[in-house]
Amino acid sequence: MKKIKHAKHILFCILFAMAFVPVDLFAQIAGEPIINATLQGKIVDSISGEPLEGVTVQLEAVTHSVKTDEKGNFHFVTGQKLPFTLALSYVGYERRKLVVNASPVLIKLQRSSDSLDEVVVVGYTTVGKKNLIGSVEKLGLKEVSSIPTGSFDAQLQGKVAGVQVSSSTGVPGEALNIRLRGATSINANNNPLYVIDGVFVNSESLQTLNTGGKATSPIADLNPSDIEYVEVLKDAEATALYGSRGANGVILITTKRGKNGQSTKIDVNLYAGRAKAAKLWELTTGPEHAELVNEYNRNIGKPEPFVSTAQGGRGLPSEQQTYDRLSEAFRSAGIYNADISLYGGSDKTTYYLGAGYNKQESILRPLAFDRASFRFNLDQKINDRLKVGASNAISRTGRNQGRAGDGPQGGILQAALHTPTYLSPYNEQGELVGRAGFDNLTLLLDNYDVGSISLRYIGNIYGEYQISPSLKFRSTFSVDYNHYDEHEYWNKFLIAGSPSGSATSAISQATTWINEQTLTYRKRLGTQHSFGLLLGNTLQSSTFSLTSATGKGFASNDFKIIGSAANTTSFQDWDKYNLASFFGRIDYGFADKYLIDFSLRADGSSKFNKGYQWGYFPALGLAWRLNKENFLQDISFINDLKIRSSYGITGNQSGINSFASRQLWSGVNGAYRGVAGMFPEQLADEKLTWEQTSQFNIGLDAALFNNRLSFAFNYYDKQTKDGLLTAVLPGTTGYDNYLNNAAEISNRGIEFTLNSTNIQQNNWTWTTAFNIARNVNTIKHLSKPMNFGSRDLILFKEGSPMYSFWVYKQLYVDSQTGDAVYEDVNGDGKITTDDRQLLGSIWPDFFGGITNNFSYKNWDLSTFLSFSVGNEIYNHNRFFGEAGGARDAARVIFRSNLDRWQQPGDITDVPRTDGINNNNYKDGGGRWLEDGSYLRFRSLSLGYNLPAAALEKLSLTKLRVYVQATNLFTWTKYTGLDPESAAGSSANEQGIDLGTPPQPRSFQLGVNLTL
Amino acid sequence: MKKYYFYLLAFVFFSSCSSFLDVEPRTSISGDQVINDETSAKAALNGVYAALRNYYSINYQSIAYLSGDNIEWTGSQSQIQEFINHKVNAENATLASAWNGIYKSIDRANNVIRDLTNYDKQNMSDVVKQNILGQAYAIRALNYFDLVRVWGGVPIVTVPTAKIGENMGIARSSSDQVYARVLEDLNTAEGLLSNTTDRTAFTKKTVLALKARYYLYRQDWQQAIQYANRLLSDQDYELLNPYYSFFKNDLTETKESIFELFYSANEPNPHRAQWQPQTNGGTRQWAPNAVLVKLLTTAETGGARSELIAKDNQGRWYGNLYYRDPAKDPTYIIRIAEILLIRAEASTQLGNFTQAVTDLNRIRTRAALAVRPSSSDKEQILQWIADERRLEFAFEAHRWFDLVRTDRAKQVLGIQEDFRLLLPIPYSQLLADPVLKQNPGYSR
Repeated sequence: MKKIKHAKHILFCILFAMAFVPVDLFAQIAGEPIINATLQGKIVDSISGEPLEGVTVQLEAVTHSVKTDEKGNFHFVTGQKLPFTLALSYVGYERRKLVVNASPVLIKLQRSSDSLDEVVVVGYTTVGKKNLIGSVEKLGLKEVSSIPTGSFDAQLQGKVAGVQVSSSTGVPGEALNIRLRGATSINANNNPLYVIDGVFVNSESLQTLNTGGKATSPIADLNPSDIEYVEVLKDAEATALYGSRGANGVILITTKRGKNGQSTKIDVNLYAGRAKAAKLWELTTGPEHAELVNEYNRNIGKPEPFVSTAQGGRGLPSEQQTYDRLSEAFRSAGIYNADISLYGGSDKTTYYLGAGYNKQESILRPLAFDRASFRFNLDQKINDRLKVGASNAISRTGRNQGRAGDGPQGGILQAALHTPTYLSPYNEQGELVGRAGFDNLTLLLDNYDVGSISLRYIGNIYGEYQISPSLKFRSTFSVDYNHYDEHEYWNKFLIAGSPSGSATSAISQATTWINEQTLTYRKRLGTQHSFGLLLGNTLQSSTFSLTSATGKGFASNDFKIIGSAANTTSFQDWDKYNLASFFGRIDYGFADKYLIDFSLRADGSSKFNKGYQWGYFPALGLAWRLNKENFLQDISFINDLKIRSSYGITGNQSGINSFASRQLWSGVNGAYRGVAGMFPEQLADEKLTWEQTSQFNIGLDAALFNNRLSFAFNYYDKQTKDGLLTAVLPGTTGYDNYLNNAAEISNRGIEFTLNSTNIQQNNWTWTTAFNIARNVNTIKHLSKPMNFGSRDLILFKEGSPMYSFWVYKQLYVDSQTGDAVYEDVNGDGKITTDDRQLLGSIWPDFFGGITNNFSYKNWDLSTFLSFSVGNEIYNHNRFFGEAGGARDAARVIFRSNLDRWQQPGDITDVPRTDGINNNNYKDGGGRWLEDGSYLRFRSLSLGYNLPAAALEKLSLTKLRVYVQATNLFTWTKYTGLDPESAAGSSANEQGIDLGTPPQPRSFQLGVNLTL
Repeated sequence: MKKYYFYLLAFVFFSSCSSFLDVEPRTSISGDQVINDETSAKAALNGVYAALRNYYSINYQSIAYLSGDNIEWTGSQSQIQEFINHKVNAENATLASAWNGIYKSIDRANNVIRDLTNYDKQNMSDVVKQNILGQAYAIRALNYFDLVRVWGGVPIVTVPTAKIGENMGIARSSSDQVYARVLEDLNTAEGLLSNTTDRTAFTKKTVLALKARYYLYRQDWQQAIQYANRLLSDQDYELLNPYYSFFKNDLTETKESIFELFYSANEPNPHRAQWQPQTNGGTRQWAPNAVLVKLLTTAETGGARSELIAKDNQGRWYGNLYYRDPAKDPTYIIRIAEILLIRAEASTQLGNFTQAVTDLNRIRTRAALAVRPSSSDKEQILQWIADERRLEFAFEAHRWFDLVRTDRAKQVLGIQEDFRLLLPIPYSQLLADPVLKQNPGYSR
């Protein structure tokens, strides 16, 4: 306790000291003893008139410079005489040179419309964007916080060319499938690598409870408000230094830090809103359902069940009631956010303190998400050469969870959506009862008790030593620790808890520590040659442990702790892998015109056997800045023109079992007769090794017309070989499969990004950002086709894309017989499994997004649309909901089924009802495969900035009030609720839409305040 | 100076790397020679039991239950419905799981058999060794018996798989060869095991009971009777009265039972959830069909067996043989009632109708049903026995095999094509091992 107090004291002192460090300290006086003139001035933003703090003001012919203070003021005392020539530079603004004749002076700086001055972090070093060779895209906080989602990565869809985010649902904080330039692996991980402030963080859910499909996203533990910017590294040149896992791209997140010489600022962000489903399923009424069931029974020559009760039936169709369960399950959900941050710095110290709380209810009861987070980033210069610092983030993410997807027990949408509407929630005794094998919805919602709490620490400390002006050594130690505590309690009113209650508690811990050293050398020889060298190594160790307990048999519903259960069982699991890496990079630039770099990373993984542990990942990059050539010097409208190309190899070993290369015996869980048992569990390919992806990239960057129009074009060709693949073993071996390096996958694509400043006037600006991409995925080698998903709906087959749908193609419904006619592929006159064919995949022909930002005086308006064209979705809900009465009381019937064939001459594509898995309602019927193309108006926001005069009165730096709407409209032919929500429980089961709540339409009101 | 530190650091990292990349698993152990004393040998044997129990938990039973005419499927997966429709496709997932499950049990048994046959350490007595070995042989016999009665001839594997490439590419043996393998394993087991009573593990007595069943399937009536007699004369087994006393009141290992699979709160039986309705925490995906409900609830045909079913709060019938909470219900594999009916059937075939009707009536009396009159009509008595077996083992995995074995499946179940009496080799297996040939009649 004493210690804590002490620490608090120090922290307070530090903060206090920083807040009152005199501004003059930074605005250093040029070391000139003779005073001839003083120059005072103020520098403001050319549009908003906001004072700019920290602008470097340099007097020509004098080496010393000053910086503006928080009011934008600067002050010069110099031996020179008026007029002065001043050079002004400030990140994000156009450099400006001007002659000043008098003092004081007001100078307006224009925001730079391009981002060429930006600095980009690539592979452990930073480079100016204009000298960038790799394919990297950078997004600011604004671009990843425009939609209320649990994790920021959900917002990359449509913002970055080539990034596909699928399976966003109406459950906040749920895992996503993110594919960057396609998918490269069948059995290893396809998600990109996430690096937060240099920490390789875990992005695989620790969830062990079955929530019927999707798990939670560990990336949701990060508060998006703490993000300064996000970089997406796409090609081999940019990712090769990340060696392992670089194959799927890298997402680098840099959190906010204070700036040297920046006075203390406080940012406050508040918003609140409501979310609602834009659309719900349309179901038949009770009488319609009964009619269809009768029709089905007539069709197959069985007695109709819906006849009068006097005849022993269930009552006439017209006598049936309709019970609406969907509106009980869905709600108008609340969204709340509050975060505050305090940041600034002296010449030696910078700091950032942030705290935030976010709560989002799901539109589907009772699911909810909330996150409380703290961050403390600190950098300290010890002396001229030594700098140390730390990044720390702690978060607590709480969730009310539930089975939003598949699964009869506890399935919310099963109970709400798939229970026939004619069935009363009550039985004859007036008790609430479940129907159709599902829980009673009211009981379920009232008694749901499933949730998790994730405690996460992500942080690092670093020391940086400037050995000489051009040589720097840096060492960091990083930790990602996640404590994930889940519970579920099913009381005896629920199926999963019948007859006497069931509870599970599981605690998982995942720890990764990384130690990293880098030595960087950078030198300019003369004016023409620039030379850089990087050497480094990392050691990474990841450990996972799980302890869980289950209790069954509780005295009453009030007892919930497993200790009070009649029977308890427990389970433990453990896993660990280590990675050791060495890397180097050398780069050379001639006259900032010709740039070349070469990097090599060696990764050793404990997952493989000796002799197969090490993978070597080289990359070569070239760039030619044409605008620096003489022949383009005279063309004034070209500000920048660069051709760049790279080739490299990256590796993948993540997502596979840590001991996949070993022959293993395991203990039997539960053994036999209470005595321990063991069995040979795994046969192994002892030569198992890295999956390797080589990638070629060629691109063009251009900035034109005073940087008002810039675009980037990329073509890439990614070839994966030695792909990690679960190979099937004949059953006679006693094993199902083993992991080997056998698959080959190709991804080829193009990306185009355009940024344009359409209008830039004093009061008016309008900018547009547009991106579009196309990826062609092909399985180049796969010795045997592999099925995934319910009813084998997905087939991976050599020569076709991954995630292709394997279905019967329905040609038409015979208007005479009402029977569905399928394409008889092999022409044998029968429709058998051999007639299933690959009809489309989840891959769009092209996809992207367009953002428009307008500002007029103090108003700003932003719109964002995203689109995807040519992808398919299997509407698995319809498969169940369009069985035309054949599922009788076991499933609901969708209204779309009312269009069925009824009599000769009817023209429709919904056939006559003939029973489950007979011709007309076949597993794998192609009728439910739909076009998933869409154009979505994803967000709209309108903001008002308080004018400077008013701000001054209130002693504020900034106050912005805004309203925001998300998912306002979606234009799509898809008949389900949300063309983006489709997902199964495993990564290879994408594009199957079964019982997923849609992304909601939401409205928010918010305030951004800076003190 | 600083530079040297760096070199030193780099050296330390490089040299410690090889051990840094050595991570040993904890939840499993790697390497061979894992059976090296009595405890590990018994643990390996328990692994075999676990595999046997695993395929008997749902998949194998699904095939047997649903292919008969007692049980209906209320779940949504139509691949399971295929058994009821008698149009099983080679792609059927349940069939593939059962196939793989049985061969897993075989491979585990093969590991025990190889390691104990070649065992050269002195730390285990011969009695213990023989007992473990005998059980492994007995389980393997049951494994092949279960294979041959579903698929006919299958590949015979008698050595464990040590590395990739082994135990594949083995062609199917004939059905007779597989039965011969079963008999050989049963004989070996009989010679190794002692004549004790253990209702949840294999002893010589369990092997004798399996042999009685084996000979019934092989239509060697003399032998069937002979082996049945050895159990029927054993004081440790008796027909309990009334019918439901072998399963009611949470009892396990009753004197009725010859072999049942052990389950407990720690090793719950997944069977239960398949039968019990939602209000009892089950799914009722397996449910008694209307015909069976009628038979069981009609006093003249059901008798005391009406206790096998119950009604839920929506008025739906469900099977109640597996009912305990937690699911400690044993899975019944062989009961003395089966042995009695084996003798009755074999006796009928041999013309000993008096013995047959006497045995049959012991079963009927126990079930609180009227006795059958004496008869000399062989077909009549066989029909009576078949009818009795249908209800006596309503929720035990017999009906389909009985109908196929007695050549009545087509007539009773309305199957059009002969080839459907043998189920198709799983298509995934044909793909994985091209040497396997599909049963005739199936399209792939």
